[in-house]
Amino acid sequence: MSKSNSFRDYSFTEGSAGNMSYGYFSMNFKLILILGLILVILIAPSLTPFTIAQAQQPRQVTLTAIVAEPKDRWDTLFADALAKLRERHPDMTINIDYRVLPYADTRKQILTAMAGRTPIDLISVDQIWLGEFAQGKFLSDLSNLVQSWNRSSDWFKTNWDGGIYNGKVYGIWAWTDVRSMWYWKDLLNQSGVNPDSLKTWNGYIQAAKKMENSFKDKGIQPIHLVGASHSPDMWYPYLWMLGGKIVEQKSGHPQKGTYWFPAYNSTEGVKALEFLRDQVRAGIKPQITHFWGQEFADKKFAVMLEGSWLLGHFPRSEWKNLDKNVGMIPMFPVPKEGDASATMMGGWMLAIPETSSNKALSWELLTIMVQPDVLAPMLEKYGYLPTQKPIAEGTYSTQLNSTIPYYEQLISMLSMGHSRPSIAEYPQIADNIRQAIDEVYLGVKEPKQALDDAAKKSAQVLGWS
Amino acid sequence: MLQLRTQKLQPYLLLLPALSILIAFLLFPLIWNIYLSVHDVSLTTILGGWKYVGIKNFSNLLYDPDFHKSLQVSLVFVGGSVAIQFFVGMVLAVVLNQEIRGSNTLRALFIIPWTVSAVITGFSFKFIFNDSFGVLNYGLGQMGLNPVAWLSDPGTVVWTLVIANMWHGTPFTVIFLTAGLFSINPLVYEAARIDGATKIKSFFYITLPLLRPFILINLILITMWSVNFFDLILVMTNGGPLFSSTTSSLYMYRQAFEFGLLSKGAAAGFIMIGINLILAFSYIRLFRRQ
Repeated sequence: MSKSNSFRDYSFTEGSAGNMSYGYFSMNFKLILILGLILVILIAPSLTPFTIAQAQQPRQVTLTAIVAEPKDRWDTLFADALAKLRERHPDMTINIDYRVLPYADTRKQILTAMAGRTPIDLISVDQIWLGEFAQGKFLSDLSNLVQSWNRSSDWFKTNWDGGIYNGKVYGIWAWTDVRSMWYWKDLLNQSGVNPDSLKTWNGYIQAAKKMENSFKDKGIQPIHLVGASHSPDMWYPYLWMLGGKIVEQKSGHPQKGTYWFPAYNSTEGVKALEFLRDQVRAGIKPQITHFWGQEFADKKFAVMLEGSWLLGHFPRSEWKNLDKNVGMIPMFPVPKEGDASATMMGGWMLAIPETSSNKALSWELLTIMVQPDVLAPMLEKYGYLPTQKPIAEGTYSTQLNSTIPYYEQLISMLSMGHSRPSIAEYPQIADNIRQAIDEVYLGVKEPKQALDDAAKKSAQVLGWS
Repeated sequence: MLQLRTQKLQPYLLLLPALSILIAFLLFPLIWNIYLSVHDVSLTTILGGWKYVGIKNFSNLLYDPDFHKSLQVSLVFVGGSVAIQFFVGMVLAVVLNQEIRGSNTLRALFIIPWTVSAVITGFSFKFIFNDSFGVLNYGLGQMGLNPVAWLSDPGTVVWTLVIANMWHGTPFTVIFLTAGLFSINPLVYEAARIDGATKIKSFFYITLPLLRPFILINLILITMWSVNFFDLILVMTNGGPLFSSTTSSLYMYRQAFEFGLLSKGAAAGFIMIGINLILAFSYIRLFRRQ
């Protein structure tokens, strides 16, 4: 059946062969005509003035970025920097597509994007993530670019070094913050506590006891003690002021020769943790929920050790007269009067991922973002501290000083500021320390035991066993 | 012949879209997870060479005291959550199935907690149970009672989470069992009543046996969800204090995404699949025996 059908089809084709030859040429001619027309349509515009204008149209570039909340600061910074970048490149249409993520999600999202080779041009990096990102080969080495840029000497040494991993520059520390002691003047007054007494460990604990009696049943707690997941950050200053370290280089590593080894369980570490234990014993409750200074602004605590971002919880209209109500001591309590204090520095770095498809332009944008004339207004608006000398000490400082409450004292703390190790294993080490602090808070272990046990785990994490 | 072959292929062709989705989103991730769990991959080495390590990640887990602790916490959390959710859900479903005024409105109201995301539930309960400024401790204080360390006492925290999970998850049991109750023919109860059965007897001899398939599916689902549940816990306690609220799902999440140890997290995930399967089969066997 199917065979005869195909015969019939064949014979029909053959039978019409005579007409086909004319039809074939006619079809061919039509085809050539159509193809020619298409060609003309395609080529013609290139010969018109319209195409010339189109060729002159600026090249479109969209830079992508992942940054951490709060959003407003990035809106300001990107808008100002982008305007300048566009001025420099009138031949291009440059846009920035930036995603602002909550702090907790930023690291995860960046790592996921980098691991998936998603092209991102700029990221905000917390100083403690740098080692992890650099080790994973997620960040571009900026060392050569930095050399020709010639601005590295403008940065405070600690802040510049924070962007270096294994001798290479991977990030530019844009702004910082320091933790200091904040107190409500009226509350201390009411309970008869002299603010100066808060400066020493003993005075701090005695003040807490005194205030506890005074504020009973008033819904106010005397002193804030961090019990949240970042509790190690508030313990490090005590460790540092005693001369201790979180990790130190040690030889004899089974794979790496010389590598980091936990050093926080030293006598200094134990002493520092004993101070936290003594606070708990004196009735100060570790707060497992943290509101980053809002609880202080709400007058739930009379005294709080918190970052300079705490100022952001007060309306800007109150900044001018804030010192009338809120006092600030630029230090963490010290073991005894005259001892040197220490604090922890945080803040954000800017880095260019290895996956960036516009590295040159991203670098240009980054350098504009950290230009004093672009960065300083943002710092002033949000109360952040500069990492660069031209902003901290130059003409901009006068403006910042007149706007940000206690600016000068906060800046003075930069000299006692330390940063956390930017090594890939840091998140796990911090978790070990956090566990030790929790064990001491809950009275499960004594400080030495808790730190030794934690250090054992950290050594394992660092590959020592 | 061709027609016959097409007819034979047709069911498979119709199944193809569903099968493709299952392969892409279930089978492939599962195989990938197994592949990850037998290699040494972290977020920092993901772009480098993946070293084959065999069962090392599994043995590391078995010797990790934190993982042991997380299994214990999971046992309490899942056991407590399932028992309370099921009991409360069953009582509410039966009560709402009675001819009472406003039962439909109440059913609609009861479903609200289930529609709220676990993260929002977590934040809400975090504020309610806050040791220092929480509503609950404030209420206790007003009654002259001492405040309770709901979230900072290692002995209490897991039960606080069970309460939050109960609020979030019970509506599902209510709705699911209500659907089961609707499927029972009222004439059966009528006949039992004529034969002199009390309401309690009807419940145990009619309702429960006829609800059995619904109960089974409900128990399997709420158990699996509780085993895998972690967002509420992450928000409320982040596993603390002292791992006392770190369930195995949270342990897995923290290993993989907080510490970047993807292979260790994958191994923990694989063990959790095993736990889920064992639990599901146990339920099915138990109900078959009955």
